[in-house]
Amino acid sequence: MAPKAPPNAAGRSPIANPDVDTDDLELTQLIAACAARNPQALRQLYDRTAPQLLACMVRILKRRALAEEALQDVFVSIWQRAGQFESRRGRPRAWLMSIARYRAIDVLRSERAELYREAEIEQLPQLVTEGGMDWTGAGRSAAALARCFELLTADQRRGIELAFVEGASHADIARVTKQPLGTVKSWIRRGLASLRQCLER
Amino acid sequence: MKHDDPKLIDALAAEYVLGTLNGRARRRFERWRSKEWHVERRVQAWEERLSGLALRLPPMRPSPHVWTQIEKRIARTAPRGAAPAASRPAPPVQKRAPWQAIAAGLVLFAVLLGGYALYRDSAEPPQMLALATLTTEGASQPSWTLAADTELRHVRAIVGGGFTREAGKSYELWAIPDNGSAPVSLGLMPVEGTEDRELTDSQRTALQGASKVAISVEPEGGSPTGAPTGPVIIVADRVKRA
Repeated sequence: MAPKAPPNAAGRSPIANPDVDTDDLELTQLIAACAARNPQALRQLYDRTAPQLLACMVRILKRRALAEEALQDVFVSIWQRAGQFESRRGRPRAWLMSIARYRAIDVLRSERAELYREAEIEQLPQLVTEGGMDWTGAGRSAAALARCFELLTADQRRGIELAFVEGASHADIARVTKQPLGTVKSWIRRGLASLRQCLER
Repeated sequence: MKHDDPKLIDALAAEYVLGTLNGRARRRFERWRSKEWHVERRVQAWEERLSGLALRLPPMRPSPHVWTQIEKRIARTAPRGAAPAASRPAPPVQKRAPWQAIAAGLVLFAVLLGGYALYRDSAEPPQMLALATLTTEGASQPSWTLAADTELRHVRAIVGGGFTREAGKSYELWAIPDNGSAPVSLGLMPVEGTEDRELTDSQRTALQGASKVAISVEPEGGSPTGAPTGPVIIVADRVKRA
């Protein structure tokens, strides 16, 4: 059995390998400490997860400055809602990622994004949607998702990925893929249904 | 909402997590989720299923000022002796508070002070009137007050007690045009004391057409792109002139 590292053990990067069990355990402890109003715990949680959350938010918001501003809201929200995490059994990174994604999506569709319209757009590498997706950063539990994702049609994969990773709406996806809105909606609906079926097997 | 069909709930939860459930439907679903445990459970299941899609992205290190701001904000939300916020249902993530109420006395003081300084320096002192009070969210004192002459040719910025400087950063003032065009830089804000400047014609036109001004945090020397790049820390109403 691996020794239990203290929450602030900084020897290895949890980001590079988000799936080690101790990572879940330590993040859960840090969230509990936030619920008990320990600001140092929030700082540690920030050091360990903010780079990953920011990457996801920049993908959605395209502008780093806007994403960094929204990231502040995310950590204030984590601080306020830490007590609610106990009640769920899920993995802490999925919870943190959800708070970050929902905030980014809300900001993307608000007037606030307008203020940054002229700000520099972050240059990001294209996502690989066709064929070999790179899942190495996603950890062990993503193996099942990766396998099920490969069973979808290319259109379903593209639609789901554009929505989840880039924050694209149905209309955005229709524009990018030059397909009718109804077609796009059906890709996504069917893709999600297939994913669910596959992941529950 | 009366939907009891598990398939429908699950489909809505999936599109909510994905981000394709939007507008009013999204807000409605959010309320439903917070009230009904069986809905919340389906949302969580989808969050777990799909999170791997975003965990693949290469991490990006946030700028140092992000944590500074978070620290300031949580210091305000953790009142001593109050019931821990965690035991209450979490409020929705708040948008920035609208511009703080004008600290009228400070503006008046600033205008008087400014007027006096200008009177000493200039043969024909233009009359300086309050233009805006720039206060960061939650601060009790403004970071700056702005005054300008009636023609909006001269602008004076006065550093207030609410200002804390971050090393290596400049603070840039922007006019936010009402017609939706891009913010126009009105220059960098002083970090101490008082500073007067004359606006160019294009800055003046932009300011006339703007009912809001904003401050962004920029690299030293100001925005490298000519548009706000740093976080916008203050958005304030411009005082309307008759």
